[in-house]
Amino acid sequence: MISEPIKDLGEGIGKGAVKGALEWGENFIKDLAKRFKEKGINFIEDKNTLEIAREQYNSGELQIYKHYIEDKNKLMILRMGLVLRKLERLGERDRKQKLREDIMKKYEIKGLHVAQFVENGVLNRYIGILLDDISSIEKFKERINEIIDNIEKYVLFVKKDDTERFILDFCLRTTASNLSMIFIVSGMGSAGEIIKKVEEKLVALLDNYELEKMSKGNNENLFFKRILKRL
Amino acid sequence: MELISLKEVSVKSKIALLKELGFNSDGEYVLDSDGNKVLDKYIEIPVKVNNMAIFPGSTIILDNNELSLSLYLEEFGDDF
Repeated sequence: MISEPIKDLGEGIGKGAVKGALEWGENFIKDLAKRFKEKGINFIEDKNTLEIAREQYNSGELQIYKHYIEDKNKLMILRMGLVLRKLERLGERDRKQKLREDIMKKYEIKGLHVAQFVENGVLNRYIGILLDDISSIEKFKERINEIIDNIEKYVLFVKKDDTERFILDFCLRTTASNLSMIFIVSGMGSAGEIIKKVEEKLVALLDNYELEKMSKGNNENLFFKRILKRL
Repeated sequence: MELISLKEVSVKSKIALLKELGFNSDGEYVLDSDGNKVLDKYIEIPVKVNNMAIFPGSTIILDNNELSLSLYLEEFGDDF
């Protein structure tokens, strides 16, 4: 073994450790354990994981959401949506997929959908649309919380295996049974391609809605806004 | 509080550290003193030796993922 301080360990702590595959000596481990028990240190596989989690906690976007959403679980899911977005930007596909699975494990498919709703920027655009027609802050809060609580009533998350027929049927059924002001069709990757193909038919089908598109890279989102008819 | 990265540390050393802290390992997963797999307290998945985070107090061992770490920070505060 070659004795050399481990650079990554911070000031002083590397003393007594040995290099190689970063093998730690017995005494060094005992010292670490002692310091741990004295609550002086923590151990983590990858500091970046913590950095990314912390960064989103302090993000301006989350601070804005906190004005309108009080529930801690909901805020955590929104925060994970921001983390998913960050991992996508970093090209960390494996970590992103792992996080998607973790979110699903904790918050089920609905939680994952809400996180995805944040990740692809749709929540922000939805808030923007609500702002065009805001009557009171309370009503505004109510509508943001409503879409998060009942996301499946407002958003169709298209999957890569969904057929055109399924999408058209689902949209027609959902908009007929739920008279929401906004209905969203969202998809990423190959699902985004499916949405592009079915867009014209959806516009024809949902004739009492006007379409606003939000496309970015392989991310396709169609916002159908109900047209209010004058009596 | 100081944060030590385990990323470059050998599995052998990680297991030795776990033993020093009263845990064990089958080479892949973290085990408790009874030999049971330690589950991440937030998402209830078995914690792997090569992807763990260890926090003091009552010695909480978590899976190193953004969700569990965020939930930990939410519960115990950001003291790193």
